[in-house]
Amino acid sequence: MYILKNAVKSITRNKLRNILIGVIVLIISVSACVSLSIREAAEVAKEGTLSNLQVTGTISFNRQKAMEEMKKDTSSSSSSSSSNKTDKSKFDFDILQGSSLKLSDYMKYTKALKSGDSYYYSGAVSLNATGSILPYGTSEDDDDSSSSKSDSSNNGFMQPPGDFGDNNSQSNTPSRQPFQVNQGDFSITGYSSYKAMLSMFGDDGSYKITKGKMFDEESDALECIISNELATYNSLKVGDTIKLSNPEYEKETYKLKIVGIYKNSDSSSEENNRFRMNDPANNIYMNYNALSKIISKSAKANNKTTDSDGNKTSAKLTQNLAFTYTFKSVDNYNAFAKKVYKLGLSDKYSVNSSDLQQYENSLLPLNTLSNTAIWFFLIVLAVGGIILITLNIFNLRERKYEVGVLTAIGMKKAKVALQFVTEIFIVTFIALIIGTSIGAAVSVPVTNTLLSSQIQSSQSTGDSVKENFGFKPDDNNSSSNKPDFGGPMSSMFGQSKAQNYVDSVSSATNLFVIMELILVGLFLTIIASLAALISIMRYEPLKILSNRT
Amino acid sequence: MSILKLENISYHYDKGKVEVLDNLNMDFDEGKIYTIVGKSGAGKTTLLSVLSSLAAPTGGKIFLNDKDITKIDRYKFRSKYVGVIFQSFNLLTHLTALENVILSMDISGKKFDRPKKEIALELLKKVGLDEDESRRRVLKLSGGQQQRVAIARALSYDPDIILADEPTGNLDGETQDEIIGIFRMLADEGKCVIIVTHSPDVAKASDITYELKKPSKAS
Repeated sequence: MYILKNAVKSITRNKLRNILIGVIVLIISVSACVSLSIREAAEVAKEGTLSNLQVTGTISFNRQKAMEEMKKDTSSSSSSSSSNKTDKSKFDFDILQGSSLKLSDYMKYTKALKSGDSYYYSGAVSLNATGSILPYGTSEDDDDSSSSKSDSSNNGFMQPPGDFGDNNSQSNTPSRQPFQVNQGDFSITGYSSYKAMLSMFGDDGSYKITKGKMFDEESDALECIISNELATYNSLKVGDTIKLSNPEYEKETYKLKIVGIYKNSDSSSEENNRFRMNDPANNIYMNYNALSKIISKSAKANNKTTDSDGNKTSAKLTQNLAFTYTFKSVDNYNAFAKKVYKLGLSDKYSVNSSDLQQYENSLLPLNTLSNTAIWFFLIVLAVGGIILITLNIFNLRERKYEVGVLTAIGMKKAKVALQFVTEIFIVTFIALIIGTSIGAAVSVPVTNTLLSSQIQSSQSTGDSVKENFGFKPDDNNSSSNKPDFGGPMSSMFGQSKAQNYVDSVSSATNLFVIMELILVGLFLTIIASLAALISIMRYEPLKILSNRT
Repeated sequence: MSILKLENISYHYDKGKVEVLDNLNMDFDEGKIYTIVGKSGAGKTTLLSVLSSLAAPTGGKIFLNDKDITKIDRYKFRSKYVGVIFQSFNLLTHLTALENVILSMDISGKKFDRPKKEIALELLKKVGLDEDESRRRVLKLSGGQQQRVAIARALSYDPDIILADEPTGNLDGETQDEIIGIFRMLADEGKCVIIVTHSPDVAKASDITYELKKPSKAS
C-alpha cells in the first residue's frame, strides 16, 4: 500500500518529467487508437456486411489455367514438329469443348449447396427473323433485309469486327462449330424462375411490363415477352404470334406467342451494341421450360448444313447457358467452392462470385488505409518505446541515490522496482485514457477523411488508365445492368459496373480496440520500466551511498 | 547473553588482498553505548556496513541473539532489527522529516498500536524537532536537524540495536552534546547503541570502546 502512496507522491513531486512521459504516451495512444480503429472499422465493415451478404456464384472455365496445362502437356509429351499443328487444334478444341458445362453438370453440383442456398439459370439462343417480323434497328443498316440472309448464309457465325484469322481454316475444324455463338437477329432468353430474371435485369425498375402480363414461370408453352420498341417497330401487340427461324437452318421455325410487352427505360441510350442481337430491344424473354422445348425440338429435327467443302455439320440450336448458384452466406459459398471439386468438377474450372469480388473491391481503399495505419502505429510504437526507455534510463540515473537510501533502510529491491514501475504505470495509463478518449473522438472523422483521400487516389489510378486506354475501368457504362450474353465490350477490362467504394465508417473505436490499447499501455509500461528494473536489480546500496559520500 | 556477537569476522574487498577487517571478535549488550574508534582507513565504516548487513563478511559469523544473521534476510535485518544512522544521514531530501520517518516505519512492515504519524511526531519531538520543523522538507533543515531526523528514523520501528556512523562529525559542540544525550537516553531505555567515531569526546561518553587497528597486508 505504501508503495502506491510513495509512487503517487513521487509522480506529483516530479511533475515536469512525468508530464513529458505522459505527452509521449498520449501521442502514442492517440495514434494507436486511430490506427487500430481504422483497422477495426475495416474488419467490422468486412465481417458485418459479409455475414449478411447473399452471394451468388458461378462456375466458369479457367481458360488461362487450361492453356497453361495444355502447354505443359504439349512441351513434355512430344518434340516432333509435325505434331505441333494437331496439338494446336486439339488445344483449341479442348479449350472450347471444356468451356461449356451442361445443365445436368450444373445440377449435379447443386448437391454441394447447403440449406438456404439456391440456384437459378437461364439459357439463351439466337433466332432469326422470318417474313413479317423485322429486328429492331434494321433500318439503320443499309443492307438490313439481306442482313438476316447473309447471316444465315455464313451459318450465322458471329464475326467479330476486324480480321480475326482465316475463316476457312476455322470451318476445317468442324468440332469447333457447336461452340460458336450463333449470331441471329434476336436473342431468346429463357429463365428458370422470375428470380433468375430479376437477377439479370437488376431490381432498379428500369424494366417494366407495360402491356399484357409476364410469361408463366412454369409452363412450357411457347410464350414470350418482347420489348415495346420491337412491338412498335413491327406493329405487334399482345396475343400476336411471331415466327422465328434457326439462323443456321432457315426452314426450322418456331412460333412464339406474345403475352406481354416490356419497356426498358435504359435502352434508349444504347449505342455500344453494333450487333442487332445485342440491341436490348431485340431481346425476347420466356421461361426456361419453353426455351428448353425449342432446343429439344431443334435437336430432334437434327437438320444438317453443308459447307463449301461438302462437310455436313449439325444445325441444331445450341444454348448459351448461364447457371447461377445463390448462397445464404459467404461461408456457404466457400464450402461450395471446395466441395464441387470433390463432386468431380475438373480443376480447369473455377468457382467465382462477382458480387463477392465486387464487395472485396469496394473495401480496397479501406483495407489499404488499414494496412498503412497499422504500419504507422507500429512505427510510432517503436519510436515512442525507444524514447520512453531513454527517458527512464536518465530518470533512474537521477534517482540512484533514492534507490540506495531505500534499500539501505531495508526496502527490498523488488519493492523499489515495483514502486518505480507503478509510477510509470500510473502516468502511462492516465495518458492512455486521455489519449484513447481523444483518439476515439477523432478516429471516425480522421478515418473518413483519410478514406476519402484514399478513394481519390484509387480514382486517379482509374484516370491514368483512362489516359492509357481511353476509358476508365470503373466508368458506369449504361450496359451494366442488362442481360448480356457475350457482348463484345462487356467485361473486357474487368468490371463494367461502377465501383462503389466503402467511403465512410460510422463507429471505429470499440471494446476490442480499447482492450488492444490496454495491451499497448502494458507493453509501454513494461518496455519503459524494463530499464528501471534491470538497473535497480544491479544496484548495491552500499556502493551508491559510498559514491555519494 | 549478548544481543550481537562477532565471531572471527574478516572482510576484504573483491579486488584488494588487504584484509580490512581481520578476525574480529566483539560482544555487544543491551543498555550500553559502544564506540568503535580507530584511525582513518582502519575499517570503521566497513565494520558498520558489516554490522548493518549492508556488506556480508568474507569470513566469520555474526549472531543476533545467538542466531546467525546470515539466516535472516538482509533487508529484513536492516528494516527491523537495527536502526542505522549514516554519516551523511542518507535521508530522502525531497520528503519532509515526518515523511522520512513514516517511510521507514512502512518499510519495516511492523504493526503499530497507534497511528504512525503520531508515533513519528513524538519521536521527532523526542530528538528535538517541533512539529513545524518535522513538516519541513529535509533540504530546508540544518545539518544538526537532519542528524536528528536520521536518529528519529532509525528509532521509528523500535529496533534493539542502533548503529551510528560518525553521528557528531558535522555538528558543533553544543549539538554534539545533545546528540550524545539522546544516545544515552536510548541506552538507558535498554537499546544497544554502537557508534563508530574518531571523536575522543564521544568515546569518553561511551560505556565500552573497541579500537580498530590499521590492517596489515595479507600474506
